[in-house]
Amino acid sequence: MKHRRRKLFMNIVIGLAAFIVLVIELYPIGMTLLNGFRRDIVILSGRPFELSQLTLRSYVLVFKNPGFLLGLKNSIEVGLLATIVSLAVGAMASYGISRYRFRGRNILAYGFLVFRMLPQISLVIALYLMFKAAHIRDTVFGLTLSYVSFNVPYVIWMLLPFFAAIDRSYEEAAMVDGCTPFGIFWKVFLPLAAPGLVVSAVFAFINSWNEFMYALILTGVNAKTAPIAINSLIGGETLTWGQACAAGTIMLVPVFIFTVAMQKFLIRGIAAGGVKG
Amino acid sequence: MAAPLLFLAPALVVVFAVLIFPILFSLFVSGFNWPLSAGMGERSFVGFGNYVELVHDPEFWNSLRLQLGFIFIAIPVELVLGYGAALLLNREFFGARVVRTLLLLPVFFLPIISGMTWRFMLQPRYGPLNTLLIKLGVPEVTWLSNPTYAYAAVIIQDVWRMWPFMFMLLYAGLTNIPNELIEAAHIDGAGFWRRQRSLIVPLLMPTILTALLLRIIDALRIFSEVYVMTEGGPGSATLLFSLFTNRVAFGYAKVGMASAMAIFLLILSIVFAATLVRRNMSLDVLEEKAGGR
Repeated sequence: MKHRRRKLFMNIVIGLAAFIVLVIELYPIGMTLLNGFRRDIVILSGRPFELSQLTLRSYVLVFKNPGFLLGLKNSIEVGLLATIVSLAVGAMASYGISRYRFRGRNILAYGFLVFRMLPQISLVIALYLMFKAAHIRDTVFGLTLSYVSFNVPYVIWMLLPFFAAIDRSYEEAAMVDGCTPFGIFWKVFLPLAAPGLVVSAVFAFINSWNEFMYALILTGVNAKTAPIAINSLIGGETLTWGQACAAGTIMLVPVFIFTVAMQKFLIRGIAAGGVKG
Repeated sequence: MAAPLLFLAPALVVVFAVLIFPILFSLFVSGFNWPLSAGMGERSFVGFGNYVELVHDPEFWNSLRLQLGFIFIAIPVELVLGYGAALLLNREFFGARVVRTLLLLPVFFLPIISGMTWRFMLQPRYGPLNTLLIKLGVPEVTWLSNPTYAYAAVIIQDVWRMWPFMFMLLYAGLTNIPNELIEAAHIDGAGFWRRQRSLIVPLLMPTILTALLLRIIDALRIFSEVYVMTEGGPGSATLLFSLFTNRVAFGYAKVGMASAMAIFLLILSIVFAATLVRRNMSLDVLEEKAGGR
């Protein structure tokens, strides 16, 4: 009895401590969300927060800001395109690795994984020169291509455990019925793998959504993404914190949903090579 | 025999075009004095000249020192915080699940928004951190315009953002240790520190190593957060390796030199990445776990 009371007491203390840590940890995030609803002039004055400061002005300004709107449009476009391409290419490759035994299978699979972890700066200089020569710098196509480069290896490894868990008897039955390997993959296997495909697609999209360096170096005015637009809101002499925070909050909405909804898969996602941009 | 190749072909084409070829091309460019654009001078072959020049460049050593310092300070702090939190939160209490989930929000935060948020936190006059210092009666710190403080700020930002990452991995590892084992040690009279030292840490070691490797690989890539916070400044006080490479390529317009740096970082990263992959990633284990045949 005494032991149980002590345990309950400990749990309350630890719950409280955890809550305090959480509040401190999330304070900067809360600050950013809040500043999106305050005017620049109020933020810069350093006045403590009052309810009467709340306004949608920064959001209105951001949604009238052509630079940010273009960035948002490009972010969505590049994100979706890169996700679709990476998923198609990655699912095929993952299927090949998962279902066939061939020479060099291990090296290939591990090679993909190592490639995913290389520093972007090591690739971006060459990509810059290549894209410039091919006249695809500052195009949605070029940026998509660069995002596909890190998402394909990522998707392959995200999908492998999903694919390995799918029973082969369906495919074997289809083979007996005379389906071609590609027909089996497309008509029999992929529908069975739908949950894994959805999870991988979400991760691939967030990877692209969060990306900054490729967008910074491989785009200019036309194909710049939202993170670049946000950076220019607080660059140089202009410190429009309100707008930057409003724009940042808009960018964070999918990320918040992602973190909560994909909780079960976060560790696996990290094991497949991290989520950072 | 042809079937696997057919399935892998598109991925191989992509990997060759946007990963392998750029690396080979970088290697090629690093052998040249290669100006950023045609108007900026003549292209000339220099062999290993760029690498030799790099070794004699104090700015290169500065950025390497900053990069390594960053890794050796930030990551151990993250490990200790993450470990402590994992121990603390490895039990059920009211709201435990919510706390564990919300702690992860910073990890998946857009890096640039993390950088922006901290740049705001550290602003003189109106930044929340300085407001707090003033309230406590401590003199204000102009964080981002002082070299030492700016470097500290970059590390603080990373610790804030990534200690929950350590927590997440270590917590997952900790839940795999059977409770009976820990309780048995308790009953045998092993105190808190003794239990950590002879039971939990050894059992968690594989997880800890994995987490460290993941963080090192990640820290070697760091760019966006710092770029948004300080752009490497003031001066070159926070010019971590990727930022310096970027500056050499697109600021100083010395693409050959920057490519040599890129290759250097690439080799360093491959060592860590290959170690991680060899240690942790096994197709066989993955397939066994999934139970597929």
